[in-house]
Amino acid sequence: MEKLTYSEAKKELEAIVAAIESGELDVDALTEKVKRASELIAFCKEKLTKTDEELQKILDEID
Amino acid sequence: MISTQQSSVSLSELNRLVRDVIRKNFPDTYWVRAETSDVRQNRNGHCYLEFIEKDPVTQVILARARGTIWANTFQMLSTYFEGETGQPFTSGLKVLVRVSVEFHEIYGFSLNVVDIDPTFTVGEMAKNRLLVLKRLEEEGVLTLNKELPLPELCNRIAVISSPTAAGYEDFCDQLAKNPYGLVFYTKLFPAIMQGEKSEPSIIAALEKIHAYRHLFDAVAIIRGGGATSELNCFDSYLLATHCAQFPLPIVVGIGHERDVTVLDIVAHTRAKTPTAVAEFFIGHLAKSFTELVDLEKRLVTESREYLQQEKFKLSILSKEVYHLSTGFIRDQLASIRETAFQLKHLTNRMIQYLQQEEKQCNLRFVHAVKQRLQNEAHDLLVNEQYIRMVSPQNILKRGYTLTWKAGKIVTSAAKLQPDDVIETLFWDGKIESQVKKSKE
Repeated sequence: MEKLTYSEAKKELEAIVAAIESGELDVDALTEKVKRASELIAFCKEKLTKTDEELQKILDEID
Repeated sequence: MISTQQSSVSLSELNRLVRDVIRKNFPDTYWVRAETSDVRQNRNGHCYLEFIEKDPVTQVILARARGTIWANTFQMLSTYFEGETGQPFTSGLKVLVRVSVEFHEIYGFSLNVVDIDPTFTVGEMAKNRLLVLKRLEEEGVLTLNKELPLPELCNRIAVISSPTAAGYEDFCDQLAKNPYGLVFYTKLFPAIMQGEKSEPSIIAALEKIHAYRHLFDAVAIIRGGGATSELNCFDSYLLATHCAQFPLPIVVGIGHERDVTVLDIVAHTRAKTPTAVAEFFIGHLAKSFTELVDLEKRLVTESREYLQQEKFKLSILSKEVYHLSTGFIRDQLASIRETAFQLKHLTNRMIQYLQQEEKQCNLRFVHAVKQRLQNEAHDLLVNEQYIRMVSPQNILKRGYTLTWKAGKIVTSAAKLQPDDVIETLFWDGKIESQVKKSKE
């Protein structure tokens, strides 16, 4: 998860939702996918709304 | 030597001569095309500048002349010029001015501006813009920045602005108070945004950002709005070619309504004001954020619906299983009953058959036994008769006797010696006798 970019995470998420909507998954796969999707959503939301202090510090230090 | 001294003139005399010749030969005013340079205004409101002409290809200066615009004229002309061109009267402009040719003994040659034709400048600026755009196109760089994809997560923004500009503050404020709680990172790269120095200053800022480009998603070039400000620098080829080939998307908001500069054209995105640039970034990120929220909703709804459907299917299945199994059991029971019935029937028939058989057997048996008993009785009778006939009694009656010696039966005369005592049995009694002698 850490190595994923925002776009990759979002693409994967879109694919999962589309797969779920297609109704082709069995219950076991669904559970697995929903779990993964929840992680991806949390990851993306964090990227959008949580300040990365480390990045902020790096930017502040540019002279 | 002396004659030369006598024929010489003083500088002032010479300058006066020149002045007279010029006055005589250039009595009118003349419309002159030239480029402005080194434009400055003194305390009294007089404007001093240089007029130059460059070779259009080599940019080598072909001619130069000092110029003056007296304060009252300048006040009028500069307002008119700015109103028409949307651009203050500054250096680096191609202008068409009506001038009187002056020569002053002290100040020398100069052109005194009495009128200006702003439409020429507008046309020249447009022409220049077209030339720059054509050149960029020929070099294949015109649309390079436009073709860069704006990353979906675009929140690290390098800002080129004057650090004191109100527009910069507006930009940062707008980003900070976005209604979605989106995070933005901005880093200011200060630059001069006005006048001749702006071109190298903005390019220097771009070069610095280039060194840190991996830390940013996009560049914002912003300048506060307000009074009409000089746009000429944003038509510069050098700035345009730097921006067009910059590896990060550039969003510009240089605060003008009237015209589109070359920078606006080569930039990835143009907005009118710094605030509008901020809105653009917010909108772009908000789109992704909204999509994310939508995906989350769809995920929840879909998976919930899916589970409900599965539950429903399951309940149908369990009902089916019940129906099918009860049916099966019923069928099986019926089959068992049928079998049992048949079995019972068969058994009864078997029993009947066996009973009949038994009866017949009994009859035959009784008959056979009777027959046998009769046979036996007959045999017995015959045997009795025979036995009666062969019994020793009968044989004895017929004259035979039995002889014993010392309790043992004697069957041979040779076994007897004279004087042996023997017993003889007759059919009606025993006698005892003594052997006299043996006979052959």
